[in-house]
Order: sequence, then structure tokens, then C-alpha cells
Amino acid sequence: MAELLLDTNIRLWVVLPIVFITFFVGIIRHYVSLLLSSQKKVDLQKVSDGQVLLRSKMLRENGHYLPKKSFQMRKHFFNDEDSGFFKTQKREAAMQNPMADPSMLTEMMKGNLTNILPMIVIGGWINWTFSGFVITKVPFPLTLRFKPMLQRGVELASLDASWVSSASWYFLNVFGLRSVYSLILGENNAADQTRLMQQQMAQPMAMAPDPSKAFKAEWEALEIVDHKWKLEKVEDELICQTPYQEDVYVKNKYQ
Amino acid sequence: MAATMNFEDVRDKLRKWREDKVRNSVETADLGEYLLANYRRKLGDEVWPLYEQVSIAALDCGRLSLARLCIHAVRQQFPHSSRSKRLHGMLEEAEGEFDKARETYNDILKDDPANGLVMKRLIAIHKGQNDIPGAIKELNKYIENFMSDSEAWMELAELYIQEQHYSKAAFCFEELILSNPHHHLYHQRYAEIMYTQGGPENLEIARKYFAQAVKLNSNNMRALYGMFLSASHLAASSKATIKKKTENTKYASWAAAQIAHKYKQAEPQVEVVGEMLDKLAITSGN
Repeated sequence: MAELLLDTNIRLWVVLPIVFITFFVGIIRHYVSLLLSSQKKVDLQKVSDGQVLLRSKMLRENGHYLPKKSFQMRKHFFNDEDSGFFKTQKREAAMQNPMADPSMLTEMMKGNLTNILPMIVIGGWINWTFSGFVITKVPFPLTLRFKPMLQRGVELASLDASWVSSASWYFLNVFGLRSVYSLILGENNAADQTRLMQQQMAQPMAMAPDPSKAFKAEWEALEIVDHKWKLEKVEDELICQTPYQEDVYVKNKYQ
Repeated sequence: MAATMNFEDVRDKLRKWREDKVRNSVETADLGEYLLANYRRKLGDEVWPLYEQVSIAALDCGRLSLARLCIHAVRQQFPHSSRSKRLHGMLEEAEGEFDKARETYNDILKDDPANGLVMKRLIAIHKGQNDIPGAIKELNKYIENFMSDSEAWMELAELYIQEQHYSKAAFCFEELILSNPHHHLYHQRYAEIMYTQGGPENLEIARKYFAQAVKLNSNNMRALYGMFLSASHLAASSKATIKKKTENTKYASWAAAQIAHKYKQAEPQVEVVGEMLDKLAITSGN
């Protein structure tokens, strides 16, 4: 197959501009999101709900280390029919609809503004301006499977798979600049798009839990825990564990 | 001393202490002062957390001028941050201006009602004024919201012990045991409180928890002594049934043997210990 020769102008006007554009868009995104981000207010009620749940969980798991009376007392505090914490505390179901909470709405809009929008706009623009170029070659042979990844926008069946098209070069930059950003902007910067995508994927998991449901679940879990004192026979276990040094001290001395 | 110190070593040391939340106040204040005096430029953005660390260390050692310097710098950089306001409040506390400090803290809480650290400072003010009942009241309010903060439970237990409310202190230690049931010192402290309260039931619980502490850490001498004392006390009690008596005798002699064994390992003068144990048994039997 004949060797391809690329115009040097392509390097100057396509390869480097794409790198610079993606890089500076990342930097700008970082600062814009710093400007737009609002400090998240922590709700005292939510904190304390979380702590209550944590404490009840600890009681369930480690309650066996307490004397029976102490365990029952705590269980009563959480689970009593009339005065138990989980029975009396009523919380409103939180956030049925994100539209109902304007602050949530602005948060979401800010997120979209700084993240989704530039990605679409810049990506589309790059695709439009720089499409159709074969701009560089990876210095090793690749199989045909890599063609859709590296040659987006250039559908030539006979082209060797190690050539990279401009649209793919843009994506390579988007994903590859992460470590450069963390070098320049420090850790946890907002420039990186890939991190954002991970967040979006993780979002359904991190949905704000509904406290009243969580309370009910915790109530049920605690209700079925019975107290079994782990220290019932601790002394005998201890004595069995450590050999008895009878020669050192005379038995039955303290009567 | 300063001439021999390497910038990077000192910085890394302080950074490690900051991350591990080691207090080491005297050294931190010295090293931090040295860093801030000579290498402020070189530190970059790390200078701010360092300022915070050094100012708290300086407050700990009562080096108010150093603290004032650091806190002033932080406040100029971050005039609206709650963290810098809190430092300012701590400085006011150190200067004895408790009312002003309280105002500062309440101001922060108005903006950020879930700021646990500031609430803790408010409790510390009560403690600083030696108003233990007030501190207990505030701390109870705090714990209502932050129920699984084991440090707070620990502090509350200490305060209750100071006020000799032993059953309440015991409750706090039960919470601590719940939070970490594999920590031998929690078990030991709980047992000590039970032992202090006295009465056969409490003594029995005390014996069990001392035993648990020994089980978790066989080198815990205090727990061994505690187990010995509570068991021998129970064995000597006139109301005990025969079965209980033999049981407790067994435990007491086991603990005594362990103590003697430990002493024999460390020092050969075992006889002294034997006599001492006899005396302890007699006094506790009364």
C-alpha cells in the first residue's frame, strides 16, 4: 500500500488547534464552575438523621457487648410502640420531584451549563470545522477493530487502522488530558469531563434517601435483633485461653 | 536548631501530622513558626492549612502572639470563611474573652447551623469557665444531633465522672463500646465505672468487662487488677451463694496468678507482689 504523506499545514492548523482548544476549554470550564458553584448547605436535620441511623446500626451489630439492661433500654428508645424514636419521628418524604425544589433545579442547570453544553457545542464545532482530516498516525499497527475508534468521520475501507482522524483526535484529547489538568489545576478540578460522566452514572445510586423509609427499615431491622450477651462466659473463656499458672500462686487462697 | 533543618523534611512532617490529626502542639508550633518565617513563598497554597495548624498549636501552648499573627494572616485572606472565624473565636477564648468568643461562634452557627466543630467550641467555653453542668447541658444538646460522634460521648463521660454521675457516665461508655467493641480500654473504663458504683450486681458486670478487657489485651495490667479486686470482693461478700463464691475465688486467683506471672516476667521480686495482693484482698473484702 502506498505510504500516505500528510501536509504540514495539517499539523499546524488542525492537530495543534484541537489540542489547544480542548485544553483551554477544560481550563475555562474549571474556572466557570468555580464561579457558579454555590456552597452546599448541610441540613442539620439530615445530618442528625444520618447519625441516628448509624447509631441504631451500631446497636444492632455490637449490642451483644452490652449488658441486657442497657441493650433493652436503647432498643426501647428507638423502637418502642408509643414513644420510640423511629415511631414518633415523622419526616416528610424528601424530594419527590426535583422540579419542586428550585435550588435543586438551579444546581442541575449549572451542571448542564458547565458540562453538557460545552461538550456538545465544542464537539459539534470541531466535528464541523475539522472533519474529514487524517491527521496523525499511531506508531504501531492496529487491527481493523480500531477503525471506528480512531477514524471517526473518515470512512475509508482501505485506510490502515493506525491513522487517526480529526474527530477521534478530539476525543483522545478529551479523555487524555485528565492528568495534565490535575498537574496544572490540582486534584479535584472541574475541567475533566470523564469524571463528570462517572458522576452522572453514579447518580441514581446516590439519590437522597427518604428518611421516613430509612427509619422504617431500620425499625424493622432492629426489631428482630435479640440480645445475646457475648460476655456471659467471658471469664471462663479467658481462663481457658490462658494457661493457669498454679505453681505461681496457690489456689483457694482468697476465701 | 533551625539551621540544620531541611525545608522538605519539616514540611512533610507537619503535613503528616496534619493529615493524621496528631496534635504535638509544642513541636508543631516551633517547626511551623520556623517554616512560616523562612519559607512562606515556597509553601504555595499549603501555607493556609499550615497557618491554621500552627495557630491551633500555638493556642495550645499559650503562645498567644504567634497565634495572633497566624490568625490575623488567615483572616485577611479568608475574611468570610467559617473556619477562619472559628480560629478567631478560639483566639478570643484563649484571651479569656468568653462572651466575645460565644458571639463569634453563634454568628457562624447562624449561617451554618450544622457546623459541629463550632458547637463543640461552645461547649469548650463552658468548660473553660469551669461551668461543668452547663457544658453537660450543651453537650447533650449536641449529642442529640450528632448521636454517633464517639469523641463527644467520651467527653460527656469525662464530664459526668467529674460530677460523679456514674450511671450516666456508664451509659456514655456503653455507647463507646457500641462504636468500637474491640477496644480494650473502653471495656476497662466501663468496668471501672461499674466498680466505682459498687453493689454486687455492678461488681459482677465490672468483673465481666475487666475480663473482656484482659481478653482483648492480655497486657492490660489495670484490667487484671480490676478483675482481681472485683472477683475477690464478690467472693468475700457475705451474701454470696456457695456456687458464686467458688466461681469468684477461681477468677480472683486466676487474675492474681496472672499478675504475679507478669511481674515475674518483668522483675524477679515476686514475693512483694504476693504480699501486696494479700493486702488488696483484705482491704477489698471489708
